[in-house]
Order: sequence, then structure tokens, then C-alpha cells
Amino acid sequence: MVRYIVKRAAAALITIWFIMTLTFLLMNAIPGSPISTDKVYDVTLQQALEEKYGLNKPWHERYIKYLVDYAHGDFGMSYLKVGLSTNEIIAAGFPYSLRIGIFSSILIVSFGVMAGILAALRQNKMIDRLLMVLSTLGSTIPSFVFATLYLFVFSKILGLVPAFGVGHWKGYIGPVLVTSVFSMAFVTRLMRTSMIEELNQDYIRTARAKGISEFKVVTKHAMRNAVLPVITYIGPMVAMVVTGSFVIEKVFGIPGIGSLFTSSVLSRDYTLIMGITVFFAVFLVFCTLVVDILYVFVDPRIKYD
Amino acid sequence: MNHGLEQISPELWEPLELIEKDFEKIEKPSLTFLQDGWRRLKKNKTAMVSMVFVLILILGAILIPSFWPYSYEEQTLTLSNVPPILKIYPLADEVNNICVYITEGYDAIEVTPDGELVQLLQPDYKDIISRKSVYDLNGKELAIDYSLYTQAKKEYSALEKKYGGMELIPADAAVYLSNYFGGGAEGEMVSLAETKKILEEKIDKCTITYDGAKLTQPKSVHNKTFVLGSDSLGRDLFIRVVYGARVSLTVGIFAALVNFIIGVFYGCFAGYKGGNVDTVMMRIVDVIDSVPMTLYVILIMVLIGSGMKSIIIALGLTYWVRMARIVRGQVLSLKNSEFVLAARTLGASTGRIFVKHLIPNMMGTIMVAIAMQIPNAIFTEAFLSFIGLGVSAPMASWGTLCNDALASIYVYPYQLLIPAAAISITILALNLFSDGLRDAFDPKQRK
Repeated sequence: MVRYIVKRAAAALITIWFIMTLTFLLMNAIPGSPISTDKVYDVTLQQALEEKYGLNKPWHERYIKYLVDYAHGDFGMSYLKVGLSTNEIIAAGFPYSLRIGIFSSILIVSFGVMAGILAALRQNKMIDRLLMVLSTLGSTIPSFVFATLYLFVFSKILGLVPAFGVGHWKGYIGPVLVTSVFSMAFVTRLMRTSMIEELNQDYIRTARAKGISEFKVVTKHAMRNAVLPVITYIGPMVAMVVTGSFVIEKVFGIPGIGSLFTSSVLSRDYTLIMGITVFFAVFLVFCTLVVDILYVFVDPRIKYD
Repeated sequence: MNHGLEQISPELWEPLELIEKDFEKIEKPSLTFLQDGWRRLKKNKTAMVSMVFVLILILGAILIPSFWPYSYEEQTLTLSNVPPILKIYPLADEVNNICVYITEGYDAIEVTPDGELVQLLQPDYKDIISRKSVYDLNGKELAIDYSLYTQAKKEYSALEKKYGGMELIPADAAVYLSNYFGGGAEGEMVSLAETKKILEEKIDKCTITYDGAKLTQPKSVHNKTFVLGSDSLGRDLFIRVVYGARVSLTVGIFAALVNFIIGVFYGCFAGYKGGNVDTVMMRIVDVIDSVPMTLYVILIMVLIGSGMKSIIIALGLTYWVRMARIVRGQVLSLKNSEFVLAARTLGASTGRIFVKHLIPNMMGTIMVAIAMQIPNAIFTEAFLSFIGLGVSAPMASWGTLCNDALASIYVYPYQLLIPAAAISITILALNLFSDGLRDAFDPKQRK
């Protein structure tokens, strides 16, 4: 058990190192110095800047410094947002994204599981068909279309929610809903399939034969086993929520970390790109690790080899 | 003993015609793997409809640009933002016989009665302060007066600022509300949402007078010049959506092919070598897989710049992981089978065993995996283009079209809805088709 957790944690560290190296290599392969691209500086000024950002050193020295700095939690200064460190920028944007992410995750899991159970219990009836059609639509329509349609209907026509920003709590409804749609559709399908499978098992028949109420059979016996695949999906779900934020925060005008990442990519702010990428990677790897460890407790059948 | 035989007449001993030989055999015709899958696919109506749709889409994307009168970058700035369905006012008398369409920016465009755009009319004078433009059409005067609505809108913004947090607003707080409620406005209270509704629905955007008479009854016609309307630079939206289909399909198909090549090589190698090589290679796949691909795609796009080729390379370099896993699994189960042993005994090289023996046997699974990859690639391309990393202007892709439309979504929703519908329907069709393909060619994978 402890061995399993240590092994998992080691794998997580290797993953983080791999991503950091890859990010470093990709950002280093871009021709030209990030400072000399847009503005023409005085030669001494340019040298001073290169000195400041350590750009005059050979790549392996920079690589070591980068690894050491990041290990200490220092993500460096932004090239373009003068005077701001990457840490400060991330710290300013992260709360918005985290709030949306948490609410979305709760919505995805709770709604997805309930809709999946409902569909499984009413297999091939109207409600099941309807849920399956909705889930197909949910996984085919891109999130930016949902986001704009939502704004068009609820903000422009009905005037119920603000069109921009999260100054009011109502501003969170849209981003949370739109972020959830894709994964919600997936979880519904996943839950339906595994629930149908569980309901056909012998132990369910035994439970019913013993005269246990149908509600208890569903919630206590079938659901507990059927929900396991959903737990394994939590890792990919967090990833979907993170990538979804790139687009959704842009459409809804939320100053979160997703829109920060997109804008840093478009303005080629290399330190910020690196910082946010590594931040995302660490966050995701951490979430996956937690899910993996939780899974051992939830499903005692799992072998930790 | 043989007395019975002599009684059989000799003509019964005639041999059968050669074709009659198999008449009594009960046997299904032998089908190849592809024929068998195709037979099953044909039974699946949804998959067939989707396939026909995709084929039409591919043909349209290839053929339409060659005969369409506009190109994707041809701008007609005077005819910008014209929707696909026009509300026109016919002007018919002894000197003029034209129709006019009034744009959202209160300009007048001359239109033929069946919906062909002729030209943007030049106003005789345009009074920006009193919000009125006057056109001289062969001595008769056409006037567009939009002061009422603009004034009301200004008042509404003032109301919103003043009474933002309150439930109800006195109806005489703004001139347009008093006018709407007539004389009995005193003491009446309305909600802010209602005042907005009155503004948008009850007040005409502009009053149009021609030759002293007010024009009220617009006629709806289809836009014959730009079938799906024009965008903010006066480019034909239809041809841009068609070019978007070209970009999306090219990206989808080529990215899937690159995945196929990398994934098959990687998976074959890992599976065939086995042992430590396999373990290490699959650990690498695990590591790559543990972070969302979109992040890598974006980083690669930053490195090699935007454009269609870059998207294909970026998608090809990242999404092969799934393919590699599938191929490895298949190779592991196939490599110990007798036919591989036989080939090896006969001295076939490893490459020959892959190409001639292993890959043909995995074709069903691989084909299904490719088909499932295409909508994913199209989805990602639209996503990248939408955040500004896709194809560069003036080339159009569905993602950039949606992004361009975003700025004016409230005024010209059709500019967003058309490309959005194109992406959604295409991805739906491709998904349904690949599901059908999976059921037909790879029934084991069915969930």
C-alpha cells in the first residue's frame, strides 16, 4: 500500500520533470532572443536585460537554474508585464479559475451520475433516449458555441446575467455550465453503461430476492460499484476543465489563468508561458495522484503491484 | 444382384451440366473482411446517412470554390454585414422602381425585388447630430430617421445606471417610457427588464419616409448575392464556410494520418520487441498522456508559428499516443500466432512481417481509431483557431469565423450561427459514422 503510493508519487515527479524539460526545450528552440524581437534597444541596455534574465548564459546553465528556481517555487519575471513576477500573475488569476473549476467538477459528477442512473433505470424509454440525444449534442457542439449561445440568450435577449466578467455571482453561472457540458455528457454515458452492467449482475438479483427495497438496491448495491469508472475519469475531467478554461474565460471575459495563458501565448511572453504550463502540469499531476490514491481506498479489489 | 440397374433408362446416366453442379449446396458466399464489414455498415442507417453527409461535404469543399463567383478573400466593403434574409422596402412609382434594404448601421442598400444586392446608396446629406440621412432618388426624397431609437437607448442606459439595483422604476423617468404609456404614466411602475423589452420591441429602430409617406411594410427576401450573408469586410460568408470545411477536413484527415504513421511504428516496435524496451516505451507514453494534449499543441504552435501546416504537425506529433496503445495491444496478441511464426521460419524480415502480416490483421482496429481521431482533430483545430492560434487571415477556418463573429454577436448573430452549425453538424456526422464503423469492423470494442 505505502509502496504503491510512493511509486505513484515518484511517477508523478518524473512526469513533472519531463514536462518542465519539454517546455524548456520548446521555448528555447524558438529562434532569436525574446528581448530583441519587438523593440530595438540600446546595445548596453539589451546586454543589461539579458544579464538580468540570465539569457547570456549557455543553455545548460539556464536549464539547471530553471529547474532549481522552479523547485523553489520561483517562476521568474514576466518579460512583457513589466515588474510583475509570474507567481504574482498566476496568484491573481488562479482563484477565478479554481472557483469555476470546483463548481464545474461538482456539477459534472453529481449531474452526470444522477442522469446516468436515471437513464440506466429507464433503459430505452423516453427519458433515456432524451438524455442520450442531449449527451451526444453535448459532446459534439464546441464549448465556444455554447458559451456564445448562452450569452446571446441569457444576456442579450433575457437580460438575466451580465455579459462580461464575474463582478456579480450570476457571472459564474454561464462559465460553470459551459465548462461542464462536455464532461457531463461523457460522465452520463459512462455511468449509464456501467450501471446497466451492474444491474444485470447476480448479486443485484440476490439483493432483490431478499426483499430489499429497489431504492436501496440501486443506491447501496449497484451505484457503489457502478460509480468506479467515473472516479477514474476525474483525472481526464480536470484536464478537460483546464483546457476548456482557455476558451471559456476568453468569451466570458474572466481574468482567470486560462485567459492569461492564451494572452501570454498570443503575445509571446515566454516566461509566463513556461510558468503557466508548468503550473498546469503540476496541478494536473497532483489531481491525478490524489485520484489514484483515493481509488485504492474506494475499490479494495485493486491490486497495487 | 444388379437386375434393378438395367431397368434405369440410359439417358438418366447423362452427366449434369457443369453449372448445375453447385445447385444443392447450402452455403453463404465467402466474404472478405472488408466486404463483411461493409455489409454490416450498410445496415446501420445513422452511419450511412452520416457517411453520405460527409461525402457531400468533401465533394462540396473540393468542387464549390472552382465555380463560385466569389473568392474567400474578395472584399466588397460597401456591402458588409448583410444578412442572408433581407427585409426590403419596395419603392415603386413613375421614376423609381427599386427596393431598399436598411442596414443595422442605418445605411440604405439598393436591392432588386428578388433579393440581389445592387449598390450602397450615397446619401444626399447625412445629419449625424439629428440622426437623419436623406437620399435623393431621381428627385424623390428617401429619408431615414433613427433619432427616436438612439435617444431612447441613451435614456435606457441612464436608467440602468440610475436604478441599477432597484426593482421598479417610475414609468415617467424617461421620455420614451412616458410616450409608450401615453398620458396615464403618472405613478405607474415598471421593472428594468420591462423597460429594456419596451426599448427593443416596441420602438422602431428607424422611421423611413419616401416621398413624404412613411414606409412600414417590409418584405422578406433571400439574399441572392451572398447566399449566407456577408461578413464585416463584405466577404461572402458561404464561400468562407466552404473554405473552412476545406481547412477542417484537411487538418482532420492529415493529422489522423500522421498519428497513424507515428502510432503504428511506435506501437509495433514496442509490442514486437517486448520486455524492457516495451516497458520503457510505454512508460514514456504514460508520461506524455498524463498532461492534456492541448497544452503541447499550443506550445508547439508557439514554436513553429500558426498556419494549417503547423496545426497538422502539432496535432500529428501529440495525438499518436492512443494509436500507439491500440497497436501495441494488438501486436502483443498477434505476435505469437502461428502465421507470424511461419513467416519468421521462412526467413521474412521484421519489416516484412509488420507490413505483410501484422498490420493487415489489425486494419479493422486501426481504421476505426483513425476515423475516431478525425473529429477530435477538427475539434482541436476549431479550438486553436478560436483562441487565435489557427490559420492566419485572410484564410478562413470554422474556428476563426466564429472568433471573427464574436465581436458583433449581438448585432449579427448569423455570422456566428452559420459556422457554429457547420462545425457541430460535421463533428456529429463524423462521430456517428465512426461509431458505425466501429460496430461494423471492430465489434469487440463496442460498449
